[in-house]
Amino acid sequence: MPSNKADVVIIGGGISGLSTAYHLAKAGKDVVVVEKGIVGAEASGRNGGMISERTDEPDLVPLAVESVRLWPTLDDELGYPTEFVQKGRLQVAVSEAEMGRYLTEREVGDRFGVHVDVLDPQEIRDLAPCVTDRNLGGIFFPKGAHANPQRSVQAFAWAFQDRGGKLYQHTAATGFKLAGERVTAVETTAGDIEAETVVCAAGPQTALFLDMVGVRVPLATARAEIIATAPLEPLFEMALVGNGLYGRQAKKGNLLYGGGPHEWIDVELTGDPGKPNTPLIRNIARRLADLFPVVADVPVIRSWAGVIEQAPDSLPIIDVLVRPSNFVFVSASAHGFAIAAATGKVVSELVLHGESSVDISGLRMDRFGDVSPTWREDLGWVPVSAGA
Amino acid sequence: METKPLVVVGAGVAGTAAAVEAARAGVQVTLIDENPVGLAMMGLDVPLTFGKRFAGTLGDREAMLARVLAANGALAEAKAAGVELLLGTCVWGAFRNTETSRRLDGPQVGLADDKQSWVVKYDRLIVAAGSRDVGMSFAGSHMSGVVGANGAHSLMSRYQALTSRRMVVLGSGDLALNTAKMALECGIEVVAIVEVSSSARGDEALLADLQKEGVVLHTSHTVKEATGEDDSIVSVVLVEIDENNEPVAGTEKTLGADTVCSAIGLAPNIELLSLLDCDVSFNSELGGYVPVYDDKMRTSEDSVYVAGDAAGISEDMALNPEVARTQGRLAGLAAAESLGAIAGARADSRRLEIQAERGPASSSEVHTYWQKWLQSLVNAGGLEVFACECEEVTRAELIELQPPRYLDWRSEQMGNRSLQTQMEDGPVDPDQVRRLTRVGMGQCQGRRCREQASLLLADASGTDIAKVPFMSYRPPVRPLPLSVMWPHDETDEMRENWVKWFIPISRVLG
Repeated sequence: MPSNKADVVIIGGGISGLSTAYHLAKAGKDVVVVEKGIVGAEASGRNGGMISERTDEPDLVPLAVESVRLWPTLDDELGYPTEFVQKGRLQVAVSEAEMGRYLTEREVGDRFGVHVDVLDPQEIRDLAPCVTDRNLGGIFFPKGAHANPQRSVQAFAWAFQDRGGKLYQHTAATGFKLAGERVTAVETTAGDIEAETVVCAAGPQTALFLDMVGVRVPLATARAEIIATAPLEPLFEMALVGNGLYGRQAKKGNLLYGGGPHEWIDVELTGDPGKPNTPLIRNIARRLADLFPVVADVPVIRSWAGVIEQAPDSLPIIDVLVRPSNFVFVSASAHGFAIAAATGKVVSELVLHGESSVDISGLRMDRFGDVSPTWREDLGWVPVSAGA
Repeated sequence: METKPLVVVGAGVAGTAAAVEAARAGVQVTLIDENPVGLAMMGLDVPLTFGKRFAGTLGDREAMLARVLAANGALAEAKAAGVELLLGTCVWGAFRNTETSRRLDGPQVGLADDKQSWVVKYDRLIVAAGSRDVGMSFAGSHMSGVVGANGAHSLMSRYQALTSRRMVVLGSGDLALNTAKMALECGIEVVAIVEVSSSARGDEALLADLQKEGVVLHTSHTVKEATGEDDSIVSVVLVEIDENNEPVAGTEKTLGADTVCSAIGLAPNIELLSLLDCDVSFNSELGGYVPVYDDKMRTSEDSVYVAGDAAGISEDMALNPEVARTQGRLAGLAAAESLGAIAGARADSRRLEIQAERGPASSSEVHTYWQKWLQSLVNAGGLEVFACECEEVTRAELIELQPPRYLDWRSEQMGNRSLQTQMEDGPVDPDQVRRLTRVGMGQCQGRRCREQASLLLADASGTDIAKVPFMSYRPPVRPLPLSVMWPHDETDEMRENWVKWFIPISRVLG
């Protein structure tokens, strides 16, 4: 029987919620995490596993840099394997426009003190000989890294439990008890849990929970797809992006690559949103073989899909609500895994002190101003009508 | 994209019967079968457990095509009825619109031959994808020479290419006895039939015939290990077991054999049905998770039908193909009726005719039997045997939930974690176990280890096997080279819009 009281109740057993839970438990707080399924069931366990300083998103750089600093400590800190590999991040350009964007990323890197190398096509192939000789060069982040998403989520979950945290899987949050300016309890399928503070880290369901406390947050959900090849001899160790794909070669040797158009969907508050793959996986296969011509005859052995929430500017939102005042929330817009090592630190600081030691000023809610009720329609971020 | 009125997956007894029935009712039918399967695929034990006991002649695609046609006389009948026959073509995916995937231009299947893949839409789909071999591992079973009953049947009857000389058959049900009989007819010496129970399970007359031919039945025995040279089995060590499935010391028998044929059971091929989100339920008498279907063989998905082993396997189906044939005819008839090719009254009377032909079906619960096999193998061979050979995960690593050995991870915390501690967080979840241990994540995608892994998890967690979910299936359900899988007909729009991440998929999926 779940306990019915905690200092902090966290909604969502994804990597943002569990990283936060870990830091709060470590700080001595009594923390409960409620997860409607199993930990990492959604985007946290299904993403590409990439970690970098994200100089393509200036407002995100301080948090991403802090995460890149902390990620290498996690295996020892948590006591469980994350499959963390820090051998850099290589971004290969296949068009002039892409190379142009990369050069901008380098300029942003200069501004923040993030080291970025610009490489010519041969230098790319010296680093990763399997890359197509039709590449136009690229950039390299020496501190880029990758890790295994499912394993990392589980590592945070276990480490949280080891520090006294209570994790209730198969327990869905369904609502809140409010009194005046505060949330007093989180309603769940296993009963109410009283809380001093609530942290909402509910991924695709974030907007639904915020709506319950009268806050409209601009988040839409999408389904994305990834393919996996059979294991191969080591080809490269860094995270390697290019040709519209993102991914890595896992330690076991499989190439794991995703990318391409997403499909906007709606999600329910509870339950498991369907995550089918579509024939899009054939297009991903094509791009992968174009990027690495030497692997064209390697078999694809599986694929998967995931559901992620996105803000209009594709940046995380981390904030403390004005009303109810004891409500903190974090939503990652597909950056959740990369920033996870720092998310817990930042969000736990917000819970404990009301402010963060990392500059997250560009990630607050106020950047959106008043959110139009029709913002999704305005952007075209809506599912096509059923049966179309 | 082309639309086929009726696609039938699998040209075995059930699929061919379905195709003929529907074609005779006037439906334009496309019957698809992955045989002849390419050598590379067979080497990966896909789709069946072939154990690398096949001849190089399989590389001659034209010759194999002729053999596949010759092995199933009903295929000529199907062709005569006007069925479009696609051999050497696998169905690697099935897709339909759902709440979270709405942009498909109708339900469709992904097909591929050895050179390219393509996608076709269907109005009706009959899945007659057959069954796969249930395997249990023992020390040495990673070597060449472990074949499944289905794999052996296919190599013997379809390809005439099974290269075994001396075979030990595991199991003594009709499937096992029939396999032994076929092997003898192919000139293979059947050294022994090994049965973990105290008496044989299959047809008594057939068993008596086999014993007359010199086949020795070892009841209350299990496999302790196989030994080999150059990664290929040369002998098998059996050991007697007591009533607790424990090995009896000093009763080991070493048999010279190059092949161990696992014929303890079959599991329905439900992967395409699962991809289409058809309802399934656990029925041990039918081999585990089987599709839910009505008296017309229609699944929970209106346009999808099922027939034959894929619908569930009863013990007598190995000897009696009538069950599968009847199901195929019913499915073909119902699909034709739903397409308007045959009027209701005529369909009803035809249905009565077909049902009258149906043979008696007998069945019994199989998982208790499989669990007995597994228990005896664990007792005789221990837990340090691979449960998943593709990913080299031992039984111990599976139930202790340990990370894969290539991570070389040791920590006190990890050592304290196990399936038992995980159970405190919720019911056993094979998908979660798969991600943490990599069981079932290899090239065969768990075809060989699913049952063993589920039974180990059920046993270690004290969960009823019926309550252990199956590891999910994801496309492609056949390993497809990137160069085969990719779309040769990719649209310019898809190419041009690709790198823009957040654009609705609707604008680019043609």
